[in-house]
Amino acid sequence: MKTVTIDKNAFRRFVDGIIKQQRVIGVCAKGDRFDFEQLESADQLRLDYDVTLQPPKKYFLPPVETLLTYEVGDGYKSVYDDTEFVLLGVHPYDMVALNQLDKLFTQDNFDTHYMKRRHNATIVVCDVISPSKNVFASSMGTATVKDGFDVLLTDIGNAFVMESGSKKGDSFIAKAQDVVDSSEKDLQARHKIQAENEKRLNNHKLKCEASYLPKLLEKAYDHPVWEEKAKTCFSCGSCNLVCPTCYCFNVQDDVNWDFISGKRQRAWDGCLLDGFTKVAGEHEFRKKRADRFRHRLYRKCKYVPEKISSQIMSCVGCGRCVGACLPDIANPVKVYNRLVDDLGIK
Amino acid sequence: MDRPRVAIFDFACCEGCQLQIVNLEEELLDLIDNVEVVEWREAMSEQSREYDIAIIEGSITRPEDEQRLEIIRTRAKTLIALGACATIGGINKLKNNFEMSDVKKCVYGKSADMPHLETMPTKAVDEIVKVDYKIHGCPIDRKEFTYVVRCLLMGKRPEIPEWPVCVECKSKGNPCLWDYGQVCLGPVIRAGCGARCPSSGFRCFGCRGYIDNPNINGAKDVIERYGLSVDALKAKMVLFGIGQGPTNA
Repeated sequence: MKTVTIDKNAFRRFVDGIIKQQRVIGVCAKGDRFDFEQLESADQLRLDYDVTLQPPKKYFLPPVETLLTYEVGDGYKSVYDDTEFVLLGVHPYDMVALNQLDKLFTQDNFDTHYMKRRHNATIVVCDVISPSKNVFASSMGTATVKDGFDVLLTDIGNAFVMESGSKKGDSFIAKAQDVVDSSEKDLQARHKIQAENEKRLNNHKLKCEASYLPKLLEKAYDHPVWEEKAKTCFSCGSCNLVCPTCYCFNVQDDVNWDFISGKRQRAWDGCLLDGFTKVAGEHEFRKKRADRFRHRLYRKCKYVPEKISSQIMSCVGCGRCVGACLPDIANPVKVYNRLVDDLGIK
Repeated sequence: MDRPRVAIFDFACCEGCQLQIVNLEEELLDLIDNVEVVEWREAMSEQSREYDIAIIEGSITRPEDEQRLEIIRTRAKTLIALGACATIGGINKLKNNFEMSDVKKCVYGKSADMPHLETMPTKAVDEIVKVDYKIHGCPIDRKEFTYVVRCLLMGKRPEIPEWPVCVECKSKGNPCLWDYGQVCLGPVIRAGCGARCPSSGFRCFGCRGYIDNPNINGAKDVIERYGLSVDALKAKMVLFGIGQGPTNA
């Protein structure tokens, strides 16, 4: 595993070279915001972005995808997306989220559709340069990332330090020209940036250690905060839809006009939505807004971390839900801090 | 399978939703292969009193239309309301803000008192008869229409979204239009349109009607925080929102 330094102009030429060979998805400006898009030129790439509108999960779990096509009497065929691609400019907190999705989609049922895309991807993470308004990754321990990426990129001023984290990363870096082995000075510069990020990506400060949250929530099921906040909840699922770790989906069949063949599709779903828990016979076991509001915050910092035995919470502190919530109730830190205030840390 | 007999009727509307059916292009052939269209004023001359499925376009604005609709209901096994005018009353409900005599005078001038111009406050189809299925929107979405028809032919209940437009808008990666000063109705309006308007940078007007359980407290809280008044919000909702309750699909 190599660590090299590449001058910014050389990096631009390097990216342009890769764009010619394969599909490269990178962070681009979208109006006055940013989002992942397919790159046509390295000039579009904006590694100084604060946060993307959507997390990168859509490249592994698209908003809508066809899982299989079927024909009555003739079985079914699974449908796979089989193009290799580079995902360029993923922030560490989003990489932590993808690492969790990897566990979730291989535990219990191995999800071939998700994993096919995952194997086809080369993920280039970049350390944060401009913290977003609502980021609290430092509170969640996700401001930097140690594993999961193929390449880790850090802007040290006039150059990038590129570290490989996998074999795919090795061959990615091998394509770059004009690279030099990173000097001690470069590595120190990178260390300084990462150490600073671990503190400064913290525009909402959690009043306890993130690892304490599962214990805190154990005591909070009947706390009044759920009802209070949910009073103004639209149940619009925006918090779910912009979340890098929300992965719930719904599956539906759509039959063709011949009434013999058709396709099975899955689409993103969200636990905040009315009807998410509706089952046969119109029974709905989380009918109240407050129940659904509470469920998301339990998923993030109790149920999912326990399910995948993770010390890191499933809320990675990207802050997207904070900005996406129109009634401004989604901020996880505000809710958890309220619980810390009322229930204390024991 | 036996092809069900389908009749399409129009009431007060622009006929744009029927036009969406005509515009199905090659899918129109699939449609008429699978159903027997027995009456459809916009597309054929034949008429019939025997049909299994009645598709109603338009809102009900005259006493005689109310009777006509009731007769159609007694003849049809299944009744579908097609498009915003039929499902929620549509923009025709703007009329309900005024006195009927003023409305008639405004539209017909000196002839306002002629007996055949009698009018009444606009009603959606389900304010008069039982509606089995609603195909929302102004105009309807063609894909949703054919999906609903296929579901009916299979005897399966179609899944019409009960969540708001925000779901489709966020899935598309759009920034929230509220952040850019637009009073978008997305959070309380039924999805299924693919967030077409907000994706083009234009706020949701609410043509698909309210979700089953819109949060009024949430709406009040948001308009307050954005420095708006309830009246300002109502003014934005006037096009599709007059006297409209939740639209249970």
